[in-house]
Amino acid sequence: MKLLKIGISGVRGIVGESITPRLVMDFAAAFGTYLNAKPILVGRDTRISGPMLHAACTSALLATGCTVLDLGVCPTPILQLLVKPLKAMGGVSISAGHNDIKWNALTFISRDGTYLNSFQGAEVLDIYHLGKFKKVATNGLGRVKAAEQAADAYFEKLGAFLRTRTVAEAELKVVIDACSGAGARFIGRLAGILGFELIPINHEPNGFFPHDPEPRPRNAQQVVSIIKAVGADIGFLLNSDVSRVSIVTETGESLSEEFTFPLVANALLEADRGPVITNLSTSRMIEDVARGRHCPLIRTKVGQSYAIQTLLQENAVMAGEGSGGVALSKFQPAFDGFLTMGMILETMARRGKKISQLVKELPRYHIVKEKIYCPPTKIHSVVNEVKKFYRGHEMDTSDGIRVEDKQGWVQVRTSGTEPMIRVIAEDSAKDKARQRADEVIHFVNLIIK
Amino acid sequence: MKKMSSLKISISGVRGIIGESLTPQLAAAFAQAFGTYTGGGSIVVGQDARPSGTMVKQAVISGLLAVGCQPVDVGICPIPSFLFLTKESKSSGGIAITASHNPKEWNGMKFISRDGLYLTPHQTEEFLDIYHQGEFYFVEPERYKSLKTESNPAEPHLRKLISYFDVDRIRSKKYRVAIDCSNGAGAVLAPRLLEALGCEPIFIHCLPDGTYAHHPEPLPENIIDICRTTREGRADVGFVQDADADRLAVVSEKGDPLGEEATLALAAQYVLGKTPGPVVCNLSTTQAIDDIAGRVGASVIRTKIGEINVVERILATEPRPVIGGEGNGGVIIPDIHPCRDSFTAMCVILEYMASSGKSVSALQKSLPRYAMIKEKVPGSAEQAFRLINLLKKKYENKGRLELLDGLKVRMSDHWIHVRPSNTEPIIRVIAEARNRKKATAAIRRLKREITALQGQL
Repeated sequence: MKLLKIGISGVRGIVGESITPRLVMDFAAAFGTYLNAKPILVGRDTRISGPMLHAACTSALLATGCTVLDLGVCPTPILQLLVKPLKAMGGVSISAGHNDIKWNALTFISRDGTYLNSFQGAEVLDIYHLGKFKKVATNGLGRVKAAEQAADAYFEKLGAFLRTRTVAEAELKVVIDACSGAGARFIGRLAGILGFELIPINHEPNGFFPHDPEPRPRNAQQVVSIIKAVGADIGFLLNSDVSRVSIVTETGESLSEEFTFPLVANALLEADRGPVITNLSTSRMIEDVARGRHCPLIRTKVGQSYAIQTLLQENAVMAGEGSGGVALSKFQPAFDGFLTMGMILETMARRGKKISQLVKELPRYHIVKEKIYCPPTKIHSVVNEVKKFYRGHEMDTSDGIRVEDKQGWVQVRTSGTEPMIRVIAEDSAKDKARQRADEVIHFVNLIIK
Repeated sequence: MKKMSSLKISISGVRGIIGESLTPQLAAAFAQAFGTYTGGGSIVVGQDARPSGTMVKQAVISGLLAVGCQPVDVGICPIPSFLFLTKESKSSGGIAITASHNPKEWNGMKFISRDGLYLTPHQTEEFLDIYHQGEFYFVEPERYKSLKTESNPAEPHLRKLISYFDVDRIRSKKYRVAIDCSNGAGAVLAPRLLEALGCEPIFIHCLPDGTYAHHPEPLPENIIDICRTTREGRADVGFVQDADADRLAVVSEKGDPLGEEATLALAAQYVLGKTPGPVVCNLSTTQAIDDIAGRVGASVIRTKIGEINVVERILATEPRPVIGGEGNGGVIIPDIHPCRDSFTAMCVILEYMASSGKSVSALQKSLPRYAMIKEKVPGSAEQAFRLINLLKKKYENKGRLELLDGLKVRMSDHWIHVRPSNTEPIIRVIAEARNRKKATAAIRRLKREITALQGQL
C-alpha cells in the first residue's frame, strides 16, 4: 500500500511511492487553477527531495498562468506572513514538518496567510479530482521571480512585535537545534534581532536530518548533552519547517512538547484576555492556565487548519497544540516557531526568571502518547469500533473518540498525516495515564487482528 | 481535413504546443523515461530562449530528480555548445528544451546521448518504449542527487573553436560582422566568439528573450533586417543564426542574402579545397555539393532528412568525412563535433574570406549556380505516404527515383523531392534547377499534381 494522505490544506506522502512529479504537478495545477493566474509564493524546507517537489510545483503553477515568487528554502511561518506584503494570492509550502526524510508534502496557504480551510481545501480537491487544469498558451505563462530577500520583512515585523531591548539586556545564551531544517539558515536572524548568544547545533542544511525532525524529548539528546556544559539558559528544538518548538531547561530537563503552548499562554494571557483555542489531544495544562486568567478555552479537531479557523471565527487571542505549535492572533494566524521562541525568551527576560522556574508555575500532568499502525483502508472503522469499549461513558466524537473524567482523559483518533491510530491519555497520576492508554491499545490491537 | 495533432514525437524528439499538448506532466514523464533509460548519473539540461523554456525545464528537472539523476541546469545555451558540453562534461546524457525553428507557441525536448549526439533512431525506440510502458524507476529520497547549475555552458565549445581555426589570420582582417541571433540562444556565445576572432560586431535581435523579431527560420524572406544592417553598416559579411544556433544563413557585403543552401556549399568548397575527403549530406541538399566534391574527386553520401541521419552516416563512414551537413544552413565539421553548428559555420566562412582575401559576393560567384525552391503543403504523414505512392507511378519513367526518404526524382535539368515533415503536420516539396525560372516551373507543376492527387485521396 502506497502511503498518501490528502488533508484539508494539502497532500503528504512518501517520496518515490506516492509523491511523484506527476502527483505534485496535478495538485499544484489544481491549486493554480483555483487561484486563477495570480502571484503565488513557493518555499520549501531543506529535505533532499525538496528541489524535486519545488521544480514540479513551479512548472505546474507557471503552466496555469500563475507567477511564482520563489522564496527558496523558507520556514512555513515566514512564507505565511509574507503572503500579504508580497501581494500574493496564496502560497505553497513544501515540507513534511515533523515527518522523517522519506516524507514530503505540499501545504496550500490562502491569501490570508493561513492554511486553507475546509471549504477552500474541498474546492482545490474537486479541481484535482476533475483533472481539468487551467492551461495557458505561451503568452500567458507565468514567470518565476526570486524573492529570497523577502524574509527581511518577516524579521522586521517580529522585531517590532517583541520587546527586543528587554531580551537583549538579559544577555541570554540559547541553544537551538534546527535539525538541519528550514530554520537552520534563519536562527541567526532571530539571535540578531533579540540580541541573545546563539549556540546553534544541526544548523547545516545538507538535505538530511540528524534525528527525526519532531521536537520532543526523545529527539533532544544532543541539546540535553551540551546545555549545562555550555551554561545556556534554554534550549529549543525545531521541526523542519519551524512551526513547532520544544524546550530543554537550563538544568538539562527535556520538557514534553506539551509545555510549549501553556508556557506562552501563561505569559500572554497576563495582559491579553480572550478565548484560547486548542485541540482535543492537548494537555489539560492549558485548561488550568486559561481558567486562572478567566479566559474561555475552546477545543477543536487536531490540525493547524482547524485551530486557526476557530481562532479567526472566535476572535481568540491565541491557538496552540500540544505538539508545540503556537499562534498569536496579534502577530499572525499561523503556528510560528520563531514567535514562540521569542515569546518564551521575552518572558524569561521580562520576569527575570529561569525557564525551570517558569515551568514550575504550570500544573504537572502525565501524558502518554502512543501510536498503532493500521492499514489505511480500515483505520476509520477500527476507531469507530472503539466506541464499544467505552459504552456507557460520555464520548466526544468530534475527532475520533475522547473520554474524559475528573482525573484525566483518553483520546483515540486517526492520524492526519500517517496511517496510524494515535492514543493519547493524560492523568494527574502517572500510572493512571499509562493504564488509560494501555487498556484501549489492547482493545484496538484485538480489533486489528 | 482532420484536425492536426499538436504533439509530435519523432526521431527529432518531442514537440508540442504550450497550453495544449506540451504540459508539465508530459515533460516530466519524458524526463523520467530518459533518466530511467540512462540509468541515473548527471544529465545536462539546457533551453533555448523561448519564454516557455523555464516552465518545461522545471518539469524536466523534477522528473530527473525523481528517478535519481543529477540534473545540471545550464540555462539558455546554443544547441551545438550544449551537445559539445554534454560530451565534454562526461554526463550520462542531456535534455535540450527547444522546438528548434517551430513558432513561439511550440516547445519541445531533444534527447542527447553521453557522446553529445542526438539519440539515434534505435536509441529513440528503446527510450520511447520506456516512456510508453510508463514504469519509471522512482528512487527513495536517500538516493536523491542534488540539483547543480552551470553558468558558463558554452565555454568548452568556444575553447575548441578557438583552438581549431586560424584565429590569427581572421583577427588580422578586423572584419566588420553584422549578426542577427533571432533573439535566440546564439546570443549567449556569438558576442564572445566574434570578439575572440577580432571582429567588429554589429548586433541585431541579440537579446535572448525568445521574442523572435522575425520568423525563426533563416530563410531569405525572414532576414530583411540583417540585409539592411549589413549594407548600411558597411559590414564585410552578415550572419543570421536560427533560434537554437545550429543553422546559419549568410549575407554578402552588398546586403544580398546568399540563400541558406549556400552556407554548406561555401563551407564545403573551402574545407574540401584544403582537405579532400568524403562529404555527407541529406537528400534535399543542393546539387552544388556534388559539383564541388567532383572538382576534387571527393565522394558525396546522401542520407535521409534529419540531422541524426547525417551524423550517424558521418560516424559510420571511413575514411572519416571532412564535412557534412544539410542545405538548410547546417554545417558539420566532424573534427570539431559531429553536429550542425552555426558557430563552426561562421568560423569556416570568416577563415575562407581571410585566407582567400575575397569578399563574400566574390566567393558566392565561385559557387556552382543552382536555384532551389522549398515549399510546403498541409498534410499529415499518412496523407504524404499515400500521395508519394501515387507520385511514384507518375514519375516512374521520367527520371531516376530515390525512395530513401519520401520521393526524390532526378531529371535531366532539375530534381524534385516530396516528403512528410518530421516535426510538423506538413508535406515538404522541393525543386532545384540551374536557374530560378526552371525551378519555379518545376515546383508549380509538382504542386498542381499534388493538388489533383489530394482530391483523389
